[in-house]
Amino acid sequence: MSLAFLFRTLSRDAVKVSLCQHVQSLHMCCPLLAADKTLLIKLRKNTGYTFINCKNALEKFDNDLAQAETWLHEQAQKEGWSKASKLEGRRAKEGLIGLFVGDKAAVMVEVNCETDFVARNEKFQQLVKDVALVTLAHQQNKRQSQGGYVKSVLASEELGKLSAGEGAVLADHVALTIGRLGENMSVRRAVTVGVPADWHIGSYVHGGLSSQSEVAMGRYGALVIFQGGKEGEQDILGRKLGQHIVGEAPVSLGNMDDLPCGESETRLLPQTFLGDPSRTVAQFLRGQQARVLDFVRFQCGETSEEE
Amino acid sequence: MAALVGLRACFSALQLSSPCFLHSSFKLCALPLSRRSFAAEAKKTYSREKPHVNIGTIGHVDHGKTTLTAAITKVLADSGGANYKKYEDIDNAPEEKARGITINASHVEYTTANRHYAHTDCPGHADYVKNMITGTAQMDGCILVVAGTDGQMPQTREHLLLARQIGVEHVVVFINKADAVDDKEMLDLVEIEIRELLTEFGYDGENTPVVIGSALCALENKQPDLGANAVMQLLEIVDSYIPLPKRELEKPFLLPIEGVFSIPGRGTVVTGTMERGVIKKGDDCEFLGHNRSFKTVVTGIEMFHKSLDRAEAGDNMGALVRGLKREDVRRGMVMCKPGSIMPHQKVKAQVYVLSKEEGGRHKPFVNNFMPVMFSLTWDMACRITLPSDKEMVMPGEDTSLTLTLRQPMVLEKGQRFTLRDGNKTIGTGLVTEIMTVTEDDQCNWG
Repeated sequence: MSLAFLFRTLSRDAVKVSLCQHVQSLHMCCPLLAADKTLLIKLRKNTGYTFINCKNALEKFDNDLAQAETWLHEQAQKEGWSKASKLEGRRAKEGLIGLFVGDKAAVMVEVNCETDFVARNEKFQQLVKDVALVTLAHQQNKRQSQGGYVKSVLASEELGKLSAGEGAVLADHVALTIGRLGENMSVRRAVTVGVPADWHIGSYVHGGLSSQSEVAMGRYGALVIFQGGKEGEQDILGRKLGQHIVGEAPVSLGNMDDLPCGESETRLLPQTFLGDPSRTVAQFLRGQQARVLDFVRFQCGETSEEE
Repeated sequence: MAALVGLRACFSALQLSSPCFLHSSFKLCALPLSRRSFAAEAKKTYSREKPHVNIGTIGHVDHGKTTLTAAITKVLADSGGANYKKYEDIDNAPEEKARGITINASHVEYTTANRHYAHTDCPGHADYVKNMITGTAQMDGCILVVAGTDGQMPQTREHLLLARQIGVEHVVVFINKADAVDDKEMLDLVEIEIRELLTEFGYDGENTPVVIGSALCALENKQPDLGANAVMQLLEIVDSYIPLPKRELEKPFLLPIEGVFSIPGRGTVVTGTMERGVIKKGDDCEFLGHNRSFKTVVTGIEMFHKSLDRAEAGDNMGALVRGLKREDVRRGMVMCKPGSIMPHQKVKAQVYVLSKEEGGRHKPFVNNFMPVMFSLTWDMACRITLPSDKEMVMPGEDTSLTLTLRQPMVLEKGQRFTLRDGNKTIGTGLVTEIMTVTEDDQCNWG
């Protein structure tokens, strides 16, 4: 009798245990899936990497968010490069001109992408900003010894090799953005200028998007280097001249005494001034007691058309 | 102009009747135009039993917009509703010179069980805006294509902004490349994410239809559930979710006046091409424009020297009007259903400024520039006010502008117009908002 009882309790316990285990394993299973899903959303929200990569990262590190995130960042650089080489042949003629004027120095860069949708994206604009600031910093390091007027034009290859801090070069930055946005991009060209203390740099960017950063961006940009002008009004003068250069697209500077030759005038000084059609640029400058020494004009996509 | 339009319409009608391959863009141009001036002929040559709807695709370059378009034509070709177009045919979007403006767009046409569609795909934002302004293919709705593998891209925000900007109110989402995703839960996540984004941009994210499939499978005849069936499902949803645009015939009538004639013994007749609506003998009408406005009654309608009871949009007709003197009316005024339209002096518009290659100016213009505005049959000097964040407008750009006319003329939201200066066309635009005139707008018109 007692033996039978003992047996019954034992067997009941055994069942209980197995049941418990079963329940437990069910519990184990459910949270695993749920965590996977919420973590996936979280990771994707935090990093913005593609769903498939986020999922791979979580699987690889057993749902460890922090590890997955660092792995994704590492991976992004590699993937950016492979994506960049994959997209290399695709035509990129949209993009932005980025322009930054610092203390007696300025930089203007052109970065291209495939569609104008991407040009409106913050991540792309961040890239343009980085390129502009890196180029300017690089140029300033180089010219510390010299004091005069310096203008240097950098082509795509040279720009790619500039150091962008933390051991990366600018080309790495571009590749990273390519990986993120999935479009071909290239840093087309850049120009930096540095001027002596009594010269001024005027600038104008056209077709600008309302970007919050200190680097002005748009589809057209102009830098104009001039002397003189009324005290305190040099900014406005520089802007007006820049606007004229963007609008009328002069090719060369010309002389103060050149005679204008009609609508197709390509020299800056004899051109009819955009802000005041009754005068030429030269006449306008005389009125302002200013002298234009040099100018640069960038139009987005213009070089790729020539090729 | 009318003759040119007619020619184009006839030409494409010929093309249609012949079984040979036809370029869809021809048909697209011809459809709305043929309705304008050749309505009578059009009834014989076109079978318009299915209503026409314009849709488009937007999305990231690598997410399969073109593949989806190809897949749609392939699936419908099996039921006779389309000519199958290969990816390459669609991908090489021809630079189209629509109304003198270069637009990069590919147009494909197909027919579902209920509707006829013109499908537009453009590579860039600017192209869609040009499309909207020129009216080559306004979009009644659009399909947002997102790859299930990637989810939305950072620039998907810009795509939805565009849809908002060009006035697309109905968006259907197609999650593509589902065959490359082995985990169904991930597709759910992509869906959740895109719904959130739609809501953020003011669309009804909760109820926006989302179809999951793979355009590639449809093209390669694999996995019918993700392939052909998904594409069919997408088309059914597009059929039901995107509403039909309001037809020109259902709107109140509008006749821009081209000429005024007095016929001895009968009275004064005004002629023109009916812009929209239906007019019947005995209808009340109102004359507006050039600072005049009065109401009267239409006593007779004539077309090709024959008397008619009614005329409809697209008919080139003459109307005999009770008590009208010849000097009361002049070209540029309109005859309309009383109260249906008003003259305005100041409007906001979205304008595309022609580049030099397209025949526009090579110079930019600045504030207070005064071109001549042409719309319907009128032309009027106007003054341009740039938006506050712009100082000038370059050729080849699209921009929003405020236009102040010298005199109030008939203008309404959605009306198209052209700006000219001297002998050059500067730009073309679309009225987006009617504004009230303030004291500051009075200026010296020289």
